[in-house]
Amino acid sequence: MRRDGWLPGVLGAVTKGLLILWAVPGQGGRPLQPPTLQQVQALEKDQGLAIGHLCRTNRPPEWLRGPSLGTRGLRGLRGTMTHMAQALQDITRHQRDLNPPGAEILRRLASAHLKVRGLLNNLEGLYPAPSPQPTRRLPPSPTAPTKVFRQKLEGCRILWSYSRFLVKLNALLETRRIRAHRERQRAHQGSRMPTGS
Amino acid sequence: LFVLLESFVFPVTYVNISKDLVLQQLLVEWDVDKSAREAELAMSFEIQVHRTDVAITVWTEFLNVTLDKSGKPLHWVWDSDFPLECMSHSVRIRSRAEVSNIWSQWSLWKTVLGLDTSNNHGPQIFPNEKIVEEGSDISFCCIGREGQIVKDFFLVPTIPAFNHTNGRLGLLTVKNVTHHDSPHIMVYCQESCNEMQCYDHAGFFVGKPPDTPHDFSCQTQDTRTVTCTWSPGGDTHLYGRHSPKYVLSDEFSQNPILCTVSCSEQCSCSWDIEQQKICNITLTVENPLGKKTATDSFDVTHRIYPTAPFQLWEECTDTEITLYWKLQNIGIELFCQTEVLQPNGKVEVLSYGSVTLRGLQPYTEYTARVHCGAAQDFWRWSEWSEAQTIRTKEAAPSGTLDIWREIKPVLGGRNVTLFWKQAPEFQANGKIISYEVTWRKVEDASEPESISLLSVYNSTRIFIDSHSYRISIVAKNNVNYSLPSVLIIPTGTEEDRSGSELEEEWVNGTDDGIFISWEPRHIYDSYIIDWCNVPALRPCDFQWKSFGANASSALISSAAFVPGVRYNFHIYGSVANRATLLEKKTGYFKELPPLFDPVVENIELTFNAVTLYWDSYPTNESQPGFLRGYHVYVSPLQEDCSLEGSKKHVLPDNSVLCKYSIDNPEEKRYTVKHLLSNTKYKLVVKAYTGGGENPIVNFRYIDTPFNLNILYLLILLVIIPTLAAAICLWKIKWVQECCCPVIPHPNKSRVLSFKEFNIGSEKVLKISDCIPDMLVVDSKAEAQKL
Repeated sequence: MRRDGWLPGVLGAVTKGLLILWAVPGQGGRPLQPPTLQQVQALEKDQGLAIGHLCRTNRPPEWLRGPSLGTRGLRGLRGTMTHMAQALQDITRHQRDLNPPGAEILRRLASAHLKVRGLLNNLEGLYPAPSPQPTRRLPPSPTAPTKVFRQKLEGCRILWSYSRFLVKLNALLETRRIRAHRERQRAHQGSRMPTGS
Repeated sequence: LFVLLESFVFPVTYVNISKDLVLQQLLVEWDVDKSAREAELAMSFEIQVHRTDVAITVWTEFLNVTLDKSGKPLHWVWDSDFPLECMSHSVRIRSRAEVSNIWSQWSLWKTVLGLDTSNNHGPQIFPNEKIVEEGSDISFCCIGREGQIVKDFFLVPTIPAFNHTNGRLGLLTVKNVTHHDSPHIMVYCQESCNEMQCYDHAGFFVGKPPDTPHDFSCQTQDTRTVTCTWSPGGDTHLYGRHSPKYVLSDEFSQNPILCTVSCSEQCSCSWDIEQQKICNITLTVENPLGKKTATDSFDVTHRIYPTAPFQLWEECTDTEITLYWKLQNIGIELFCQTEVLQPNGKVEVLSYGSVTLRGLQPYTEYTARVHCGAAQDFWRWSEWSEAQTIRTKEAAPSGTLDIWREIKPVLGGRNVTLFWKQAPEFQANGKIISYEVTWRKVEDASEPESISLLSVYNSTRIFIDSHSYRISIVAKNNVNYSLPSVLIIPTGTEEDRSGSELEEEWVNGTDDGIFISWEPRHIYDSYIIDWCNVPALRPCDFQWKSFGANASSALISSAAFVPGVRYNFHIYGSVANRATLLEKKTGYFKELPPLFDPVVENIELTFNAVTLYWDSYPTNESQPGFLRGYHVYVSPLQEDCSLEGSKKHVLPDNSVLCKYSIDNPEEKRYTVKHLLSNTKYKLVVKAYTGGGENPIVNFRYIDTPFNLNILYLLILLVIIPTLAAAICLWKIKWVQECCCPVIPHPNKSRVLSFKEFNIGSEKVLKISDCIPDMLVVDSKAEAQKL
């Protein structure tokens, strides 16, 4: 049995479960699908960005382009989730200027932020850093918008891009899981074949 | 000079114009000829403002100014109703001296340029972001690129607005803007193309200036830390960094107030004032739309809100409690108030420095709490201390136990079961730890016997012989005994005699219990009624109740009383602790119908009557009510019943029975008369009590026999004559011969019934005595016979 084919499959299945469980905002921690079209439309409408589907950008930020697990595998997700945690923090801060305390959108953002931080924590547990490193805070984006509209638009686009990212990641992990399962089955059948004919 | 001045004009020497984009104002500066200043003339100026998009003068204003010699230029400010960024604005001025009627020439137009004169990289909306007050008006402009026109210019969410588009320029005005559920109202502008660079977006917030803080008040708990509180006011609809910010300042302090405001239902802020005694605190609340203040001036020693007293402790006796407590030392004399909750629920408030509560009940819980305020310049009470529950100490029991007995003769003497309970006037004044029962013979001074029982017991049984005994029972707590309760049990002989010939009287139940009355006798100082709550069981849950000398009736109620159970009551009179059985009563709380019907063992039937015989019916305690009698129900099978002497009884199926009542429970037979012969009847005998009778379930069926008298009559009147007639017909000749011969025998004839002539036994017929109608001489044998 090939061990290197087995481990990524298992880890992929575990992480996929964690991702689905943790990373999709506002779903109460239950395994489920990425946001539906209706949910995205509701967000756009709530933000006043439904005109021309301004949120649905085809040019996500660089850290949300992908996913491609490649040779680094799930390790690459750490960077993505680190950026996402920071982005959610910024979005929450912007939305606090627009909404009363206790507003539904603030609760959902807080929940999503918590889940992303939880997933990041799990990834750091799965792939611990080789040596202790000081906590690195991401530098502010040079093009961080200061106008309210721009902030709303940027935040909405990040959330949209993130949901697309998760859809693709989900599909990618599912493919790898199926492939790993088939390899295990083949290995198992091979070990049971009679020796000599 | 005046004449000269009349014809002079003093034109404007220069005009400068600038714009303040923050305030959206045009700032105009100009001056006139020095000579006008020297003459300190009163001048009028006409100022015109022109906007390039509409190519008309949008504003004209006349200004009257008296010039001075200071040389300072003149200024004028114009508030633009539309953003100045989008289009160019121009101003010109002309002048006229008041002494002259001649206007000068217009100055040249001075222009501040807008974006209409340049080519931007895309459409632009102004203002791009603004916070406006609810109820105000706001105007937007959108300037497109050169060669482009503004195709769409609108708000999201959709709000009514005046919209005017003119080629490259769009204008949007919202009047009386209101807050919507959307936190941020978006403005969209699009040129007549679809690429990203054809759009611009802006937004604005609608909110309110903050309310003046209500209930702004400051106080201190220790004269060092001051806490100010206030009500935050209504929702401004501005959140986060635009939300109201609170700043506190003190006129009498050189240091700024550094405190962290926390708001929930109320806002508060606390800081250290060190040695300061007088404060004049100003609270300023500010948001982008306005600022409000509230002030509180005070002497710190007049705003003492002490911390609650703590560590309460007490000293107590059986009737007094002295309460102590600790207070935070703040160098201010305090005055305290104690609240005491008594067992009866009453609350008493005592205003003392320390508290001694007197006249209390022993071994009783009282709950006390304390709060304090400044003795001088009272401001407010502190919070209440934690409530302290205190129990007074025990004292000897007061009053006596209520005791009673049940006496059962046995071989050699009597078993006496003693019962006790705490009478209403009895006060345990502590925890009863045991009961002590002592008994001794009355006649001699023999050593008494005694036993001690734990407090869980409320009865015991002792054996005494036939002598008279004195029994006493006391309750014991940790302090002492109660006064003894005493019973005298008479000798066995006296006991036997007492009540043996008494008859039981019936008593009736009511909704609330069983009513017992008795004949009062003046020799007794009390009466006792005893009974068993569950007569069928052993032990039977023996109960008793005592009454004063003047009582002659009582309503005995018990939660254990149930319908259908017969309770037996004994009424005693007591004098000098000696009780005598006076009356016996028996009754039901509620009677129920009998358990079963009498069994009809025998029936005697005639053609018109039926006699029913039934067995003896039990009337003892096994019955759920007192047997009052019987009802007999009868009815023909096929029809309703209506018999003479009966009452009608309608069944649930509307059939009618005849009902007969028997009021004597001892009766065991009954005859129902006036029945029809040869008829089927159904009947039943039901016993009834004070609770009624059970529903009719089963009947007995009878068949009355045929009436023989009728048969006899039938035989006599019909059959026999018919039979006789048949016989006669059959023997007609014999009958004829016998009864009506053609020639009757002379002996049978009347013609021979004369008296005069007899010859021996024969009668002689004289021809003269008869008048025959025919005479025949016959020589036949018949004649011979004759």
